[in-house]
Amino acid sequence: MTHPIHEAQLDAYLDGELEPADAHALESHLGHCPECTRFLDARLALRSAIKARVPRLQAPTPLVEHVRNQMRPRRPVPRVVWRSLALAASLAVVAFGGWRFGFQRGVGATLADEVLTSHIRSLMPGHLTDVQSSDQHTVKPWFNGKLDYSPPVSDFAAKGYPLLGGRLEYVAGRSVGALVYGRRQHVINVLLWPRTGRDAGPAARTRQGYHLLHWVTRDYDYWAVSDLGLGELEDFKQLLQQADR
Amino acid sequence: MELEAIVLPHLDAAYTLARYLTRNDADAQDVVQDAALRAVKYAGGFRGTTGADARAWFLAIVRNTAYTWRQRQQVDARTTEFNEELHSEDTRTDPTASIDLQQALDALPLEFREVIVLREIEGLSYKEISDVAGVPVGTVMSRLSRARQRLQRALSGQAEERA
Repeated sequence: MTHPIHEAQLDAYLDGELEPADAHALESHLGHCPECTRFLDARLALRSAIKARVPRLQAPTPLVEHVRNQMRPRRPVPRVVWRSLALAASLAVVAFGGWRFGFQRGVGATLADEVLTSHIRSLMPGHLTDVQSSDQHTVKPWFNGKLDYSPPVSDFAAKGYPLLGGRLEYVAGRSVGALVYGRRQHVINVLLWPRTGRDAGPAARTRQGYHLLHWVTRDYDYWAVSDLGLGELEDFKQLLQQADR
Repeated sequence: MELEAIVLPHLDAAYTLARYLTRNDADAQDVVQDAALRAVKYAGGFRGTTGADARAWFLAIVRNTAYTWRQRQQVDARTTEFNEELHSEDTRTDPTASIDLQQALDALPLEFREVIVLREIEGLSYKEISDVAGVPVGTVMSRLSRARQRLQRALSGQAEERA
């Protein structure tokens, strides 16, 4: 067919996507072109057929719930913390009891690796806490029946280190408890377990930009990991030590 | 803009697009979940300010996720499309059968299907579709026209058979 008007232009006209000048030119062409007019009529018929028979769908409720949870996995945590998680450092103290070292040599290094891995994994979306609460009386009982010890849990919100929650970790072949704290934009993880009396190597390490502290109280081995400044991390360690006396 | 405000209001649009691209419910849900995870990951890259910006941004992720899904399923998909073409051919020669518009849409190549869904169901502008599909506006324009032509042919074929 010898035709000055391209079909795609007619479609664009119907879609309101033509420039005003082009649309005007096309309209004057339509006035004396039954072929183009028929084309547009057929397109309009198609449009109503699509409207009638190709429905817009509603996302199933379970899907909506699932995505909603993906968006805000931890409601009690201030949103600003979540948004900066990917960049933020955290500090983790992990506690676990009855843990037996399989190796004497290099144990501290291996353990530090596991603690760091646990920490980094916790920063991925949805992994930070299993129980979300700033209330130590909610977090502590949550560990009941999940661990063979009951880790001491304190909130240090008044000191600028609010408790965010807790979770279970699997370190060195057994379940252990992790406590999560916040510090400004940073997240702090603490791992602790009944003391083993084994040598865990140096008290402070820095790996991949994260600081790891290890110390022992009367009852527990503690690990803390974070990209928080070492000074603040040491301050936080003191708070924990005072609380676990 | 908060990530929730970017993603949650557009879940119906996301599911609709994913559903028509994957052609089944389970895969569509997987695609949307996957896309939401990617949205969490790439949220920092969102530069828009309006709901329409957010919709186009999230739909682009859904669309790309669906294409990734399709690459994984490519062997199956190829078989399916081939069979559907056979089926459409059969239907046309059978005067008692009717060609459903949805079947005709399902039989379209992915690139055509997505422009139809984005334009006719979601009402996106050519520019927005170009952003979502990652192709120039001119390509959107010609794909849309050709996709409509195919659907129309399927419909009129049906009408002729019935007449």
